[in-house]
Amino acid sequence: MLNLRLLLFSVAFLSPILQIKGDDFKEEMFIKPLPPSHLYVYFQFLTLANGEESFEHSHLAPRSLGEIVSRYQVEELHLTLTEGQWKHNTWGYPVLDAAPGAELYAWFAPDVVDVDTQWKKLSSTLSGLFCASLNFIENMNTVSPKMALWPTGAYSKSHQNITSQLRYASLPREIVCTENLTPWKKLLPCESSHGFSSLLNSRMIHNTNYHSIGVHIRRMCSGSNCLDTSLEIKQTVALVYDFKILNTMDWSLRKLFGQGLPGACPLSSSSRIYVDITSNSSYPFKLLPEPNSIMFSHRGGSKTELAVYEINHSNMMNIGAKYEMRNKIFVNIPPPLTFNRYVLGYGKEFGGIVTELSNNYWAPIDVVLLENAPWWLPIQLSTLRINGEAESKLIMSQYYSPGRSRQKPYHLELLLKLPPKSTTTVTIDFEFVFLKWQEYPPDANHGFYVGSALLSANLPTAKNYTSLPITGSTFDSIVNASKPWYPIVFRTNGGMVSLPTPDFSMPYNVICLACTVVALAFGPLNNICTKEVVLKIIVVPVSLRQKIFNIFKKKKD
Amino acid sequence: MNLIPKYLVACLGRYWLIHTDYWQTISNRVEVATPLNSWKRLIEGVYLYDHGINPYEGDSFHESPIMLILFHFLLKKVPYLLPVIFVLLDALTAHILYKASKSFIRIFKESQESGKGQIAEDSITMLVTESQLDEVPIYVLSMYLFNPYSFLNCAGMTTTVIQNLLLAVSLWGAASGHRALACVFIALATHQALYPILLVVPISILLANVNQGCNKCSYIRTLLGFVLCWGFCIFISAFIMDGSYDYIYNTYGFILTVPDLKPNIGLFWYFFTEMFEHFRLLFVCAFQINALALYVVPLTLRFHKEPVLLATVLIALSTIFRSYPCVGDVGFYLALLPLWKHLFSFMQQKFIVGCAFLITSALGPTVWHLWIYSGSANANFFFGVTLSFATAQIFLITDLLFAHIKREFTLKNGSSRQVDGKPAKLVLR
Repeated sequence: MLNLRLLLFSVAFLSPILQIKGDDFKEEMFIKPLPPSHLYVYFQFLTLANGEESFEHSHLAPRSLGEIVSRYQVEELHLTLTEGQWKHNTWGYPVLDAAPGAELYAWFAPDVVDVDTQWKKLSSTLSGLFCASLNFIENMNTVSPKMALWPTGAYSKSHQNITSQLRYASLPREIVCTENLTPWKKLLPCESSHGFSSLLNSRMIHNTNYHSIGVHIRRMCSGSNCLDTSLEIKQTVALVYDFKILNTMDWSLRKLFGQGLPGACPLSSSSRIYVDITSNSSYPFKLLPEPNSIMFSHRGGSKTELAVYEINHSNMMNIGAKYEMRNKIFVNIPPPLTFNRYVLGYGKEFGGIVTELSNNYWAPIDVVLLENAPWWLPIQLSTLRINGEAESKLIMSQYYSPGRSRQKPYHLELLLKLPPKSTTTVTIDFEFVFLKWQEYPPDANHGFYVGSALLSANLPTAKNYTSLPITGSTFDSIVNASKPWYPIVFRTNGGMVSLPTPDFSMPYNVICLACTVVALAFGPLNNICTKEVVLKIIVVPVSLRQKIFNIFKKKKD
Repeated sequence: MNLIPKYLVACLGRYWLIHTDYWQTISNRVEVATPLNSWKRLIEGVYLYDHGINPYEGDSFHESPIMLILFHFLLKKVPYLLPVIFVLLDALTAHILYKASKSFIRIFKESQESGKGQIAEDSITMLVTESQLDEVPIYVLSMYLFNPYSFLNCAGMTTTVIQNLLLAVSLWGAASGHRALACVFIALATHQALYPILLVVPISILLANVNQGCNKCSYIRTLLGFVLCWGFCIFISAFIMDGSYDYIYNTYGFILTVPDLKPNIGLFWYFFTEMFEHFRLLFVCAFQINALALYVVPLTLRFHKEPVLLATVLIALSTIFRSYPCVGDVGFYLALLPLWKHLFSFMQQKFIVGCAFLITSALGPTVWHLWIYSGSANANFFFGVTLSFATAQIFLITDLLFAHIKREFTLKNGSSRQVDGKPAKLVLR
């Protein structure tokens, strides 16, 4: 016990020294009630590594990640492992959106020539690091988006042709669980013993409607002239609790995580909890204990109120909210851009994917839609229809790269101008593919997951917008951060199709039968070609009695 | 004989079928459309080409670049005329088959006349009479015009319509002694679907027989002509694709390696769906050799005196054993069968084969619906139907050849089936 205390003290004393050396660690938590039924909790753990490039020594930044970045010359990396589907229509927008399953995209340094090999190596290494099946990322499910994604950090040196260094892949079938969370927590300076990360108890957080863990690495400018860059490693957790599962609308950290907050991580330079109390006006609740301060933010026409708690290093605390009024009818105002995606058709021969994009704003919104269909879902570009029209004026730019079976996915990107107050429907047809029997996953009739489409937009309004500004790292950067537009990348919901299956128990039978039919042709043709026709005397068949009689006859002889 | 009403009825029937609501269904049927010839993929390929995307970069288009250019032109200039064009092309095929069968009959008559000396006395009555022979081209024509298989093929607007035309022209060219015509068209057909390469053999024999003279020189000339034309097709296609030969991977490569396992009426799809991965290459080679090379030499040696029969059998065998067969191919070789009307009396399995054709043609769509749409059957059902369809076709072809051999024997040795006064039967030894 004494040892531990000593260690803690020494760490507490050392932390300023570490900061002098460069590395900086901050932990933040953002809680936003999503009335009437959900609660959004978002953690972010920021590590700013100012150390050397090669990561031979690291201080607070995880060395394992640093080594990956320096070895594979990664400029920017985003990895999320998600379970559940974010409901943009009712919950508004998350701080960072993530596709269901695993999603990985990265930019490599401009001097990387063989990006595909590096990409394969990177995904395999991350697969080991996070115990996720990222090793299934191959050329056949990787695309390099041309318009939909852009780097959020300072992309070094040359600025031309960034997209050729970008690779994007998502694995919608990936199931996210404890074995991914444990290695993820190990990357934090305090691991899960102190600070906010001690709340991340897998028993509680996997009991949510939506949970997503992520690692986002980017380069940040060190000075104002951006001659030097430092590495920012952001680890995030997004959780959506359902009040129905909690059985009450009153929430507290103890209810959500099974325990109170045992203070801040001693290595962190700042530990803050932000609670979005904007919904307090329509759905009043009382925060306990009282927040240290309240921030008001005017951003892009929307007002946000944030209650801020400064967490210090010592005492155990519990933050909670008590709702005052119950059974109030809540009017949900949809965010400016909503979308929906579904699969059309019946039977297992032909189908279509529909993406509905609704612009609820009074001005047109430009969006980039990236359809990334796996090779076993061959989409036909000639069947692309926007609101039922083949040649639509809404398409401002288009990129299509046809897929190839077992090698390359189908990749379609559309730059659309969504007219105000309208719904745009993008339809494209596909044909079901018949796979080889060994290519079907176990439980083939479960269906095949179709990944989410990416939708990146520059929103003209910050309504429902919670993302940090591109230059900001911490939540205080959203205060009064009005911009002409607010960039965001959404993931639509994924889909599921049921491919036709062969009979898996039949290989030998089928091989035998098909070969028999071939032999049926070969035999007679062989006879016809090699033999000649002759007349042969028909021998009258002898009866059984005669046969027996003959035997005796022979014996007599 | 007035043929105009036949053409008219067949054309109108086809045209009507294209303009009904069933057109979409027909052109999407697995029996009619394969990844090679389907109208949908043609449209997709032309669309991609039109938008500056190389259609051979992906997996959606497998026709030859010549067809791509042709249909790009047609779809740009006269999209509304396409149904008419398809119908007219099919009628033209029928007409050329009619012409070709007339030439074939002429050749047949000549060979029958010249062989008269070796015929046994009691078999003289078996010789085919003039009037019987004159009917044959009309049967061929009707068989092509009113065969439901070619009807559906044309209504589905598949590129097999063009394939059939090319084959018909090359047969006609060979039968009437136009070497250049035969070579050019067989090269075009080979360029489109690869399997017609088999027909080079009967065509060169036919040409040598028709243009009497030095046989070997004729063979060499035909072969040379074919190779040159084919090479030119390959080159011109590469020229269309801006000098890139990548399209070969998507046309010949696609035909040979069978990457798309969508069901069709052939034997490949389920076999290679269920194949163990490490044996795949072996069996792909074995099946392709079976379709492309195995039967050419022995059949040629056996039937070199009957190039037309050889051509019929080779077309039929390559249809049965090709990687992506469709009913249009079946309809084409069925149209050639009336040429062998005089063999029908020697065939033993006519009834069985006929029933099998009828039953499988009705069962195929049924079990397909059960499997794909209602989910109450599985792949084995459809596989069973395609297997029996292939078996029926094989029986038909082997029966035809047996009938030919029997007739030959009977003509030579008389129709009595007795050896030394004892009853005897024909057997192969």
